[in-house]
Amino acid sequence: MSDVHPPAAKELVLDARGLTRRYRMGATQLDVLQGAELQLARGEIVAIIGRSGVGKSTLLHLLGLLDRPDAGSMKLAGVETTKLSKAARARLRNQHVGFVFQFYHLFPELSALENAMLPGMITHRFFAWRSKRAGVRERAKALLERLELGERLKHKPGQLSGGERQRVAIARALAGRPSLLLCDEPTGNLDERTSESITNLLLDLAREHGQSLVLVTHDPELARRADRCLTMHEGRLVPAEVATEIAHPSASPASGSPE
Amino acid sequence: MYKLFLAGRYTLGRPVSYLAMVAIGLAVMALIAVAGIMNGFLAETERVIRGTTADVIVTPFPWDGEVPSRAKVAEVIEAHPSVKAAAPRFSRPAVFKMRGRDSAMGLSKFAEHFMVSVVGIDVENESRATEFDAYLAAVRNNPEGEGYAVESMERPFRLDRGRIRDPELRFAPLPRVLMAHSRMLSFGLKVGDALEIVTIPDSSDLDSKSFDASTSTFVIAGAYDTSYDKFDGATLFVPREDFPAWAGTDQEFNEVAVQAVEGADLEALKHDLEESLERELRMAFEVETWEDRHATWLGAVKNERNILFVLFGFFLLLVCTITFSVLTMLVQQKVRDIGILSSMGATAGGIGAVFALSGVMIATLGGLFGLLAGELLAAKLNTVKDWIEATFGVQIFDRRVYAFSEIPMDNDHLLNLGITGVTVIAAVFICLIPALRAAWLDPVDALRHE
Repeated sequence: MSDVHPPAAKELVLDARGLTRRYRMGATQLDVLQGAELQLARGEIVAIIGRSGVGKSTLLHLLGLLDRPDAGSMKLAGVETTKLSKAARARLRNQHVGFVFQFYHLFPELSALENAMLPGMITHRFFAWRSKRAGVRERAKALLERLELGERLKHKPGQLSGGERQRVAIARALAGRPSLLLCDEPTGNLDERTSESITNLLLDLAREHGQSLVLVTHDPELARRADRCLTMHEGRLVPAEVATEIAHPSASPASGSPE
Repeated sequence: MYKLFLAGRYTLGRPVSYLAMVAIGLAVMALIAVAGIMNGFLAETERVIRGTTADVIVTPFPWDGEVPSRAKVAEVIEAHPSVKAAAPRFSRPAVFKMRGRDSAMGLSKFAEHFMVSVVGIDVENESRATEFDAYLAAVRNNPEGEGYAVESMERPFRLDRGRIRDPELRFAPLPRVLMAHSRMLSFGLKVGDALEIVTIPDSSDLDSKSFDASTSTFVIAGAYDTSYDKFDGATLFVPREDFPAWAGTDQEFNEVAVQAVEGADLEALKHDLEESLERELRMAFEVETWEDRHATWLGAVKNERNILFVLFGFFLLLVCTITFSVLTMLVQQKVRDIGILSSMGATAGGIGAVFALSGVMIATLGGLFGLLAGELLAAKLNTVKDWIEATFGVQIFDRRVYAFSEIPMDNDHLLNLGITGVTVIAAVFICLIPALRAAWLDPVDALRHE
């Protein structure tokens, strides 16, 4: 549960090494990531915990190919991504990555079903869409029904509760059958009961579809249910217990108690 | 596929998009209507001026010697292959007053007179060289022209004595005159009323302090209508044979109206006639095309039409500003969506295309609306004008000011399509700026946008 590496001999979906990301704010340089590493096996669920501002979301953006690292390498589905063009990264993202955000980020003009169909629309070009439309629609509809939104297909986000909106966001993230699901505090905006329900659905669906999952969360309950739990420390990912040891040396038996 | 889909939703789901479409549509509609009016004004001006002036006018220069006979001059002119007909005639400024309507307001004698140009014509020749027959027929075919039309189209100056309204004049051998229908209506004149027409005879010495005027009484034999108010308000037709006695001239004509064959090069004809008349008749003639004679007026109308292109520039600027503002607002409102689209794998080009397509939709739908509304307005312009005038009691087109009885309209569908096309292209082009801004937006910044 606390190792930074996945179990050996498993196919790697994600292999990020030495990821560095710094921001310049006037004269100050902010080193947010300083050689972060993460290997993720197919179907594996990893939780990343840590206080706000340590670079969890920055890491997620790098893993999801939305941003480029200043240094380091990253393979997604076996493809080295750091030297790819913007367009190639976008295509790879469409085929292999799904995002779930804390604030759902649904399109208010679209119904639940249309929101869930969007990744499919992005995948298929105008002329191919006619033949693919039915398949994309069926997939989105099945996911929404699986997420108990069968009665809400035509509802716009404004007509849905927070939990329902997040379920639509999960359906949208899973609709393109991504190999990697990146969730940025998916339950952070929900009450405890809804949060638990969403967590169950998210983990169940990821396991059902064999998808790897990176969860950035403040929710210890959610983190506990992951295969591994990591935390950010000085710009690197470390096992959560190790971090605790670093932060509170006296609390850890490994640090040598006076007793 | 998402590009068209999202562009449609963004465009059709926001009231501000419809406002932009309406604004573009109104601009296109206004431009089509103004272009139609200006072109109609020019075309109608050219038509009526050409009709009332003839294609070419030949005038003998002031000459001490003997002016050749009108038959000889007509023969030389008609020998040119581009000439269809030549009509020698007289034209002279004069004043007239309505007989029996002396003012009781103590006005001077002259104040009771109205300026006019008296044209002495041979009906047969005039009909061949100008649209004279059509002017007579216009009154005959107009329901409001009943009682004003000439008795005979072949002999328009003929009038039954019994229709002369002043019994004292019935048995006098008075010459006849044709007056514009609109002028008769405004003066309250009827067929059979008499006019006293005054001119200065050739024998008068204009250098002396006082000179003789020549006054003759003419009886109105009927009305004509060229629909060119400027001409109608200032022209009387009299028989050419009655002209010399009234005008005190021994000439047979003082100008020749020339009708050219269809499609003739009038400038070339003008130069040919100048040469052939001088060669054959050994005297100089001034030859003017109808455009030469009305160059100032036509130039003013053409200039007004050219101003339209400046106006078009302002309209385009307005349309571009509206579209740019709406698209910029849209991009600003959808920054977060841009981040989400990126996270789902949309390329920068695809994101830009969403907003560019949105601009295309606004511009195209607005342009189409404007084209349809413009075509409709152009087709029903005078009906709309009549309705506005009747409903609001305001006069928006004064025939005395604009010289035409109704708003002229030359609805050029190709020009309308051009106006719409250029407007749409300009609007789409300007939309590329906010669309590119959307495309270049950093996805991480977009996702963090509050």
